[in-house]
Amino acid sequence: MLSATTAGAGGKSSDLLNSRSIQHVVVLGANGAMGLGSGALFTTAVPRVTFLARTKEKADGGLAAAVKMVRSSTVASRVDTGSYDADLDRVVAEADLIFEAVTEKLDLKKEFFDRIDKVRRPDSIVATVTSGLSINQLAESRSDSFRKNFVGLHFFNPPNVIVGTELIAGKDTDPKLLDFLDAYCTKRLGRAMVRTADTAGFAGNRIGFKVLNECAILAEEHGPLLIDELVGPYTGRAMTPLATIDLVGWDIHRAIVDNIYELAPDEAHETLKLPEYMADLMSKGVLGRKTGAGFFGKDDAGKGVVLDPKTRKYVDRSSVGRPDLRFIDEIANLHRVGRYVDGMRVFAEAKGPHAAIAQKVIAGYISYSFHRVGEVTDDISGIDSIMGYGFNWAPPSVLVDTIGLKPTIQMIEKAGLPVPPALANAQEGTTFFDDPQVNVGKFFVAA
Amino acid sequence: MAKVPEVYVLGGYQTDFARNWSKEKKHFVAMMREAVLGALEKTQIEPSEIEVSHTGNFAAELYSKQGHLGAFFLEIDPAFSGLPTSRHEAACASGSIALLAASAEIEAQRYNLACVVGVEQMKTVGAGEGGDFLGTAAWYELEAKGIEFPFPKLFGKLGNEYDKRYGLKDEHLAEISTINYANAKLNPNAQTRTWYMNYDHAMSRDEFNGNIGGRINISDCSQVTDGAAALLLASPEYAKKWADRVGVPLESIPRIKGWGHNTSRIRFEDKVAESRDAEYVLPHVRTTVTDAQKRAGIADSDGIDAIETHDCFTTSEYMAIDHFGLTAPGESWKAIEAGDIALGGKTPINPSGGLIGAGHPVGATGVRQVLDSHKQVTGEAGDYQVDGAKNVQTLNIGGSGTTSVSFVIGT
Repeated sequence: MLSATTAGAGGKSSDLLNSRSIQHVVVLGANGAMGLGSGALFTTAVPRVTFLARTKEKADGGLAAAVKMVRSSTVASRVDTGSYDADLDRVVAEADLIFEAVTEKLDLKKEFFDRIDKVRRPDSIVATVTSGLSINQLAESRSDSFRKNFVGLHFFNPPNVIVGTELIAGKDTDPKLLDFLDAYCTKRLGRAMVRTADTAGFAGNRIGFKVLNECAILAEEHGPLLIDELVGPYTGRAMTPLATIDLVGWDIHRAIVDNIYELAPDEAHETLKLPEYMADLMSKGVLGRKTGAGFFGKDDAGKGVVLDPKTRKYVDRSSVGRPDLRFIDEIANLHRVGRYVDGMRVFAEAKGPHAAIAQKVIAGYISYSFHRVGEVTDDISGIDSIMGYGFNWAPPSVLVDTIGLKPTIQMIEKAGLPVPPALANAQEGTTFFDDPQVNVGKFFVAA
Repeated sequence: MAKVPEVYVLGGYQTDFARNWSKEKKHFVAMMREAVLGALEKTQIEPSEIEVSHTGNFAAELYSKQGHLGAFFLEIDPAFSGLPTSRHEAACASGSIALLAASAEIEAQRYNLACVVGVEQMKTVGAGEGGDFLGTAAWYELEAKGIEFPFPKLFGKLGNEYDKRYGLKDEHLAEISTINYANAKLNPNAQTRTWYMNYDHAMSRDEFNGNIGGRINISDCSQVTDGAAALLLASPEYAKKWADRVGVPLESIPRIKGWGHNTSRIRFEDKVAESRDAEYVLPHVRTTVTDAQKRAGIADSDGIDAIETHDCFTTSEYMAIDHFGLTAPGESWKAIEAGDIALGGKTPINPSGGLIGAGHPVGATGVRQVLDSHKQVTGEAGDYQVDGAKNVQTLNIGGSGTTSVSFVIGT
């Protein structure tokens, strides 16, 4: 069960917003993508934001990148910069919110928190943007006031575009602080907030990277092109799974799935094991888009190439044959004219080995998500929110509503996966998705 | 004038204007479908109850190489087979013209329940080509052909005309932009709700707020938007039945209380020449506003609680402020400085964020304005609600102040 602090925000939002004042934010790691993106976001609501990095030059570089990211020079009029050595102690002592976005290493983060704990005001908030390290572990052996005012505030990259945000309490975090941050981030920073438990990968990455890694495993036998088409945009996502791993970086992918595999053994344990071919290629320097190639890349002539995981070699994209995938074309054509329910019914009923692969991944996503309720969030709507607002994937409830309850259950059974009790016990006609502000049609891309 | 039946607005739906339907690889019929089915769900009306449909659209022939949009209504649901349909075009006022046609048919007692849908898919082409398409809302051959982004330049000239007659400060235009963006942050369907904007940015003149022509910079412009909005209009007979069915009193259902509709000569310089000695820069727009108020039995803008106006550029909203009569002609800046047009002010303008903040899918805009007015007077506007709004007025403009339509929506 979840602790009481993961329950929804209490009290009126205007009272909550007035319960604290944030006039000055200090960002640590302001030269990294998350640090500078979050820093730029804070300038929309906060008069003073300090960008800190190893050197002042690096912090200045972060500010320049932040200006470009949000396309406004006015960011600079709200930001001052400095270095850890020269400025950290002074500005942290002045700050209302200290936002830690340094490299994702436990020891390094703890080192910074040691320093922060010594100089911060006892009432200032300390937030970490970690995407997977344990909030409780990071808070260990800190002062009482630190632990009380410490939270995980997990923005997704780039934070000026993606509004989904996870809020994670440690066991000593003040519940009033959580309510305040929930209201503040929603009203002042335009965030879609989701409270999650302090579990490996929290909610979004736990579920999202499970699906991504499963696709990476399947790519070994079937090839990246086929898998990315089978679990493509028509299944409810803007970007295909393996292209997503290339974009986030194989090293980040590995850190996230290794962490979940080690700390959260669950019914889908094996799908969270990094495939050997990926580890092998990473040792040779393959990290995805940032190194020029991952599952996909370009040859010297600029022609598209794709990885053959079996041989660890890249081959010409156009040399890879496409099997008969008429069911995908049929679904895409229905999505194109807005007939999403008809499209996803065709999906659930599609026959053949290729359809079975796609159905198994989607059924797995739904089954895995519903099984995480009570473990990572209090209810499915939290998971729906982070998958929709954070990953831009059709939330699991949207898929159940669109495919239909009975066909969804049949699909999960056919895949040999456990049917979540919430689905098994539901009445026909139950609607699971409950966010009227979301156009569910946007997830079903016609490709 | 013989007494005509009232036209009731039962409710409607708009798509999220932040969506890019070309990136979703969709046909505009998907947009119409989501808007119409959303409106039916919201009002708990069955497709088979609709008796007629009117579609507002500006330029699908150009953006999607497809005409005959009225017929696409039948692609939404099998129950629409055989339905009388039509498509209406008056540039950026297309949506309002569709509403006028539907309401006239209800007044004429031809039909009891009409569905009006406004739709535009604009992101099928790049900015330059789209700007050229929009030029066909002016006299293309004389005012747009071979000109990069003709419309910002035309509305820049509107600003120049104000400057010449009364004086005009960039600070006031920047304030208009800032308010629209700020309101949009409160609107979950607004295109710019996550964009970076503040007054300093609207006043900045560097690469991130580039000049588009004349006194118009990027922050002065409305958006290129994909979107659709749908509304259900009903006769008193249907409205009564519907009110009983959903369990609300008939009096609580908003009506089109008044409307105005005028046209000026299409060329901007002809308009300005015509108004040289007039009180207002665009006298026919002023008439549209006052006609709607008169028909609604409202003496002046003191009887209007909020306005949804056509801010295709900050200069058009600046024009609207005095044309609505919030100030004397040429004194729009006074209402801006007094805080009258901001949320919480005397007469908030564009609580939705308007065309600058919420977005401007051309053919959908007039319908979206009436939908937002409906939300205001029924207290359903959420975070951008104007407290206690009873009467909300729209102003929808096609071309450079050419076709203007205004509605007063109230209970």
